[in-house]
Amino acid sequence: MQLQYFLLLAAALFCIGIYGLITSRNAVRVLMSIELLLNAVNLNLMAFSNFIDSALIKGQVFTVFVITVAAAEAAVGLAIVLTIYRNRDTVDMEQFNLLKW
Amino acid sequence: MAQYLLDTVWLIPVYALIGGLLAIPWSPGIIRKTGPRPAGYVNVIMTLFSFFHAVFAFLAIWNHPAQEVFIPWLSTAGLNLTINLEISAVTVGALIIISGLNLLAQIYAIGYMEMDWGWGRFFSLLGLFEAGLCALVLCNDLFFSYVILEILTLGTYLLVGLWFSQPLVVTGARDAFLTKRVGDLFLLMGVLGLWTLSGTWNYTELTEWAATANVDPTIITLVCFGLIAGPMGKCAQFPLHLWLDEAMEGPVPSTILRSSVVVASGAWVLIKLQPVFSLSPVASSAIVAIGAVTAIGGALIAIAQIDIKRCLSYSVSVYMGLVFIAVGTQQNEAALLLVLTHALSSALLVMSTGGIVWNSVTQDVTQLGGLWSRRPMSGLAFIVGTLGLIGFPPLGSFWALFKLADGLWETHPTLVGIVIVVNALTTFSLTREFGLIFGGKPKQMTERSPEAIWLMVLPMMILSGFVLHLPLVLQSLSLLPDWATLNKDVALLLIWSSIFGCSISSIIYLGNITKPIRLPWQGLQDLFAYDFYTPKLYKITIIFGVAQLSKFADMLDRFVIDGIVNSVGLFSLLGGEGLKYSNNGQTQFYALTVLLGVGFLGAWVTWPFWGIQFMDLIF
Repeated sequence: MQLQYFLLLAAALFCIGIYGLITSRNAVRVLMSIELLLNAVNLNLMAFSNFIDSALIKGQVFTVFVITVAAAEAAVGLAIVLTIYRNRDTVDMEQFNLLKW
Repeated sequence: MAQYLLDTVWLIPVYALIGGLLAIPWSPGIIRKTGPRPAGYVNVIMTLFSFFHAVFAFLAIWNHPAQEVFIPWLSTAGLNLTINLEISAVTVGALIIISGLNLLAQIYAIGYMEMDWGWGRFFSLLGLFEAGLCALVLCNDLFFSYVILEILTLGTYLLVGLWFSQPLVVTGARDAFLTKRVGDLFLLMGVLGLWTLSGTWNYTELTEWAATANVDPTIITLVCFGLIAGPMGKCAQFPLHLWLDEAMEGPVPSTILRSSVVVASGAWVLIKLQPVFSLSPVASSAIVAIGAVTAIGGALIAIAQIDIKRCLSYSVSVYMGLVFIAVGTQQNEAALLLVLTHALSSALLVMSTGGIVWNSVTQDVTQLGGLWSRRPMSGLAFIVGTLGLIGFPPLGSFWALFKLADGLWETHPTLVGIVIVVNALTTFSLTREFGLIFGGKPKQMTERSPEAIWLMVLPMMILSGFVLHLPLVLQSLSLLPDWATLNKDVALLLIWSSIFGCSISSIIYLGNITKPIRLPWQGLQDLFAYDFYTPKLYKITIIFGVAQLSKFADMLDRFVIDGIVNSVGLFSLLGGEGLKYSNNGQTQFYALTVLLGVGFLGAWVTWPFWGIQFMDLIF
């Protein structure tokens, strides 16, 4: 097992998350893609803390914080989606293009 | 006293200028209550002053050497412009002629302009003209001559355009201004070119320079052409002659001045520049050619006119053409004498015909007739003017024409022939005019035609007296050739040509030949009657060219130059309009652009670390 594989896996996960982030039409799926991104980041942090900083494992502390903040962010995100849904009766991202030119 | 008057002879133009300025307040818009007449009286008084001043100064300068007065005008680095006045018998004599003729014309105008309200404008312009002409003859400097010529051009524009509510007056004034202006502008080129060659504009110094000058013949020829062009426009020479025809739309009293004196202003400069012209044989021949063509052409046109004023205006061109011939063949004295005799006779002719127009209304000679018995004074004045203008001894122009022809006799026999022919044609034309106006039976327009009022007849008679006495005056000044050494052949030829022209014309126009006269070939008659279709000629050449060029330049400005600048604005507008669609309101698109931006920035920053291997991998 090597650090690079973890990093490559994390990068792949990040890319999948990006793809989902910019292509999904459903707003909840966008939030889910953001979670994928954050998980890719967490994977990185864990890998670095394991392979480079195995004594103090600061990366793991970071990861805990990231998970915490991600939970909060997802909560706020879902709240926003719910608010928009109440107003516009849809969660289709392509309907949310009012703030243009 | 006389010496004092001589020293202050430069005041003469100032009198006239003051008279002109004093006339302005009586314009209808300023002094509303008195009417315009005081403007005329003030001007007559000022002109009277300058006339007497000139006469006394002449008595003081006669048989004395010329004096020069220097008035500094402007001094800058490398250029000192000094107004240089020459006070000699010739210049003071010219002052007498100008102020005298202007005095008569102004008295005449007081009669002629009786029913007109524009005296303020009219007399102030006459004052301006007198001032300009007096300044011109006194001025001994080419540069200031040019300045005065330009001021006179502007004066002509305003004076011809006096009655500007008439459309033909407006076009006539326009043509008079532009045609003379073109000539003047070429003159300016010549004036500036001459400075680089000679380093002086003083006529006296130019004469000295020309005596020993050694210049490139091409350059001096071109400079001379420039210098010819100014007088060519001023003197209404072919092809810049149309303006004088159209200037006949102006009031008659100003025509007196213009026909006699203003056109001579160009001739004066030409005569003064004669030493320069003698440097270039080509230029001299060109002057002679222009003069000869104008003389013959103008004489033929004058015969075919039916407008009483235009018959005379072409004669003016003719005589100025003869002056050109005289200058081109280095006969300055003949030229000056011709200018003098022509000025008096031409003014008299215009006065006489102006009186006819004044109370016969029509200017069409074919509608006039039979005035001799009822208008004897005008008729006599016309006869005297005619005799004074053609080669009829002992009156003035005979001696001028004789002097000219005598000087040409040995060297240019062809030109003598032209002078003779022109004399015959002018005689024919003037006799025709006399026959049509005064001879024959009264026509509808002339059935009741009283003699003009004394204000018009008086100057006419005084001028007739001057014309009749001119030979005596010339003799007392010993300007006439000795009878014993006279070239009798030339004299006889001139006299015979006059008699020939007069008798043929009398037979045709006073005899019982049906009028109007038709030439066997109508096209020829129309050609002369429409002065060789000069307006059309201008229209299809210069005017067409300039108009097309102006249109082209206008289009270039409107579409190309403006278009380039406007397109900058248009492109930024379109850029804004087009690029705003990048803000498409889709959050996911913004995320994509953020990502792309980060991606490219990262790629760019880290390029040194992986780029080369990457390139190797690809290629």
